[in-house]
Amino acid sequence: MNVVFPRNMAALFKALDEPGARVLAGGTDLLVRLRSHPDSGPATLVGLDRLPALRGVAEDSGWEPGLGTKDGRGDGSPSESVGPGTLHRALRLGAATTHAELLAHPLIRARLPVLAQALADLGSPPIRNMGTLGGNICTASPAGDTLPPLLALGAEVELAAKTGTRRLPLASFLLGPGRTALKPGEVLAAVCVPVPGVDVRQHFEKVGRRDALAVAVVSLAALVRTGHGGKIVEAHLAWGSVGPTVWRCPEVEAALAGRKLSLTALTEAASIVRSQVQPIDDVRASADYRREVAGNLLLRLAMLE
Amino acid sequence: MHLRSSPPPRADALAKATGAERYVLDFAPAECLSAGAYRPGAALNIAHGRVLGVDASAALAVPGVLRVLTAADVPGTNLQGIVHKDQPVLCGEVIRHAGDPVALVLAESAESLRRGLAALRADIEPLPGVFDPEAALKKDAPLVHPQHKGGNLLLGARIEKGDARAALKNAPVVVRGEFSTPMQEHAFLETQCGFARLLPDGVLDMTVSTQAPFRDRFEIGHALALNPFKIRIRAPYLGGGFGGKDGATVQCLLALAALNAAGRPVRMSWEREESILAGYKRHAVHLRYTLGAERDGTLLALSCRLTYDTGAYAHLGCEVMELGMEHAAGPYRVPHTHIEGRCVYTNNPIAGAFRGFGVAQVSPAFEGLMDALAAKLCLDPLELRRKNALLPGDENCSGVTLTSSVHLAECLDELAAHPLWTTRQAWRAAAPRFTRRGVGLAAVFNGMGYGRGLADMAIAKLELTEAGEFLVYNSVADMGQGNAAAFALLAAQELNQSLAENPGAVRLLQPDTERCHPSGSSSAGRTTYTFGNALLKACAAMREKLLARAAMALFVDETQALELAPGAVLHPASGRSLPLTALARFLKRDDRVCVGEFLMPVAQDPPDTGRAFQIGFPHLFFSYGAHLARIEVDELTGRVRVCDFLAATDGGRVLDRSCFDQQAQGGAAQGIGYALLEEFKTRGGLIQTADLSTCLIPTALDLPDIQSLAVDGHEPTGPRGLKGVGEVGLNGPAPALASALEDATGERLRDFPLTPERVLAALNKRRPPSRRRA
Ligand SMILES: Cc1cc2nc3c(=O)[nH]c(=O)nc-3n(C[C@H](O)[C@H](O)[C@H](O)COP(=O)(O)OP(=O)(O)OC[C@H]3O[C@@H](n4cnc5c(N)ncnc54)[C@H](O)[C@@H]3O)c2cc1C
Repeated sequence: MNVVFPRNMAALFKALDEPGARVLAGGTDLLVRLRSHPDSGPATLVGLDRLPALRGVAEDSGWEPGLGTKDGRGDGSPSESVGPGTLHRALRLGAATTHAELLAHPLIRARLPVLAQALADLGSPPIRNMGTLGGNICTASPAGDTLPPLLALGAEVELAAKTGTRRLPLASFLLGPGRTALKPGEVLAAVCVPVPGVDVRQHFEKVGRRDALAVAVVSLAALVRTGHGGKIVEAHLAWGSVGPTVWRCPEVEAALAGRKLSLTALTEAASIVRSQVQPIDDVRASADYRREVAGNLLLRLAMLE
Repeated sequence: MHLRSSPPPRADALAKATGAERYVLDFAPAECLSAGAYRPGAALNIAHGRVLGVDASAALAVPGVLRVLTAADVPGTNLQGIVHKDQPVLCGEVIRHAGDPVALVLAESAESLRRGLAALRADIEPLPGVFDPEAALKKDAPLVHPQHKGGNLLLGARIEKGDARAALKNAPVVVRGEFSTPMQEHAFLETQCGFARLLPDGVLDMTVSTQAPFRDRFEIGHALALNPFKIRIRAPYLGGGFGGKDGATVQCLLALAALNAAGRPVRMSWEREESILAGYKRHAVHLRYTLGAERDGTLLALSCRLTYDTGAYAHLGCEVMELGMEHAAGPYRVPHTHIEGRCVYTNNPIAGAFRGFGVAQVSPAFEGLMDALAAKLCLDPLELRRKNALLPGDENCSGVTLTSSVHLAECLDELAAHPLWTTRQAWRAAAPRFTRRGVGLAAVFNGMGYGRGLADMAIAKLELTEAGEFLVYNSVADMGQGNAAAFALLAAQELNQSLAENPGAVRLLQPDTERCHPSGSSSAGRTTYTFGNALLKACAAMREKLLARAAMALFVDETQALELAPGAVLHPASGRSLPLTALARFLKRDDRVCVGEFLMPVAQDPPDTGRAFQIGFPHLFFSYGAHLARIEVDELTGRVRVCDFLAATDGGRVLDRSCFDQQAQGGAAQGIGYALLEEFKTRGGLIQTADLSTCLIPTALDLPDIQSLAVDGHEPTGPRGLKGVGEVGLNGPAPALASALEDATGERLRDFPLTPERVLAALNKRRPPSRRRA
């Protein structure tokens, strides 16, 4: 097997044109897969390490209001003028940025704690040092830890090809387990994330079979904007590992809107979750457990009261 | 005699921490061939099947594949096993579990081996299997070993004392319970491996990751019709063993490969998946218990039945069950016991030795009933244990009078006085939202040594090298537990050398059947005790000899006037000394060597019970421990977090506090995994947790800091008063955590591991229905 490390985008696209070429980011998914299927491996691995265009965190100049979803956007109220990141309406996260780099970034910690928490729970230090955000997304696992937060945040993906770039809502990019809308010759260049206002509470919880190096059994990312008197203005919720892709439940989001953020409201919402969600049994947990916990995790939001 | 205050670091610490230490495969020559076993059951979903044929043609066509061997190519009995020989090296007629090998491939490289194995085909006709010991004992159950006299019952045995039936009938209080404990994977860092070469003089020279190099020779010799004395085995440091490398893993396959390699070196190294598929597991056990007591909590009688699932082969099943039975009533005075055990063949993975050998399985049962008794009598659970704890001179539950050291009461006193115990009410009450807190404890013990009927023996050789350093010929493999370092320390102390000032003053040679003297295995908490005693004798002989030889050169009339000092023999009266470097050159090689041996004492007048056991019953020496756990249970997910863990251990006198603590902590960590997390799953004999993404063991984040306390004990027969502490630490966490969980939730879980699913179900039982589904 051949491994190449292009130094600019033109060279990247050229390398990807070769038959049997495959993108290699951190390799933490790909190399595991190649180990179990050694004879069906690609002819060439094209590394993303040396492409500055695909790395780092920056303000997203390409963000146009209205193009993305309105999820969790700040409403411009005076409270927004405090805290770091005020100037950023959206952040552009390079696809080849490692989890550890993102986790160490002050803007991610301050403004996207829901993502930071998911990154902190992902794998282990060595995995976070190698694994990238783009790899986590392109693997498109129902248990991918960054997916529920990114979907709850209303992220978009920026896809780059020789012929140009295009943008898609992340929700349309993820098609099924291991399936994405990526076209041949295309790479995921960046993820664009609208920054929620400071009145939005962000919460992520992962339930795995252990505290590190664990595939999620159930996870929940929640963004809850509250207004006067602790009333929920809007809630964006996304569950991992309870379906073939990240699971959303508009009915629950609607049921919570207008209610006070309280155990009573959450308990009611949890029962809607349990009646709607359709998880499966696997070696890590039973469907019943997943169903129950998918509901229970909502109750934790009472701690945000 | 005891030198300086701060102890030197473990002899193996620096080399291991820097990565300089060499393990088995680091010694393998680069030009090694690769050998690998073909285990078709897992891929074919067959755990029990008739081997109709092996088609090697495609494999032999793979470039680099040299040989494909089958059962027909195995000389000798083709049977492995430490005591019971029932496990084929290569299966020719039937496979009895999904990991049974039917062929051995020899190839030029790891890559051609991989391709060769992938190209092999086997025709295997499924046979009805048995996967549950109860079902296996039914009359018409398919037989795993049709020629075995007892059918699927490998061994049924009984240990009895007094009249338990009558005593239970009359007991004022009786508690009962059924428990189950799961299989457990050793999951050592270094998987099973070795390399071998047939030398021109006919010696089979092997280097293996093994706990029993001396015994391996006989196991290989028996299986392959080789002269055991023409097999040489070296055992460098192991990257973990825990019992899983006690008995043949790669040995016989590798020897067979070497016999067919035309004198070229061959290596074998199991992939992680193969290690999980074919390696030995801890026995899953089902336990049915009844315990009777007086109203004041004084124990009267215990009756129980233990069913051990030994899987497809005996391995050490009988011996593992023996130890479990011998510990079945806990470290307590129980006048009447009736302990029944059944060890049963099934088509499940092979069970064998695992740290806590049979005892880890019974501890949650006897301690579970102690808690039940305390609850029923409204007694403090710690007090109840203290009241019944074995004391020196007592008779234990199998009828052995304890003439050895017993300091369990002191362990319990340590817990009773500890802030983690005394502040428990306040701590419990301060549980955060959605969290329940609980505190639990357990008293446990673990026998040391092989027990009666199998001489527990070690022979230590010590050399003063030409360079004036001492060289210990270690005969007992160090799998990471630190026995080699303990030997260096013991020798340094006995020879009055300072390892802190001169780490080279005492060097170690790791086991090599050619250069070291035969000694028992690295197992059974016996390693440091037995070999250490032998080594102390060799050191004493060496000291006498060196003083006598130096007397001449120093013009001293009496050896009492001389002292062995660091690097020299000293005459304190005159201040004159003779450096060991000079003395060494003065002596012939033969004269620079001393040998000492030790045989572990056994119980005198053993009780007339346990007759079914060929070997190993009863034990005389035990280590004791009392463990305390404080946990938090999450009401929303059923997850359990261990907040604090305390292990008070009686291991006799402590030789090296850091090694002692490491054993207590490592044992507790592995026990916490066993109790909470490690759910080794099979279905129809097929392993579902087949790799490390599903076969989970705790990570650093899953464990608390484990506090280790040592009680001030002394075992008079031990080297410097010590007993083995390698195993006892594993036995406490399961009962202590189940106890803490009951304290937190009000429910006792008796099926292990205590997974979040089981815990959540237990919480729901107690929750008003409105909260459950609301
Ligand atoms: C021990 C271990 C523990 C793990 N724990 C977790 C965990 O807790 N949570 C979790 O979510 N995941 C976990 N993972 C999975 C993995 O680490 C993550 O999914 C990681 O983010 C993958 O990123 P990577 O850069 O290593 O991807 P790679 O393995 O390099 O790539 C994965 C796939 O995406 C493609 N790809 C990568 N980047 C791009 C791009 N920019 N454009 C187009 N295609 C691309 C590759 O071709 C490949 O098909 C774990 C993996 C291991 C080995």
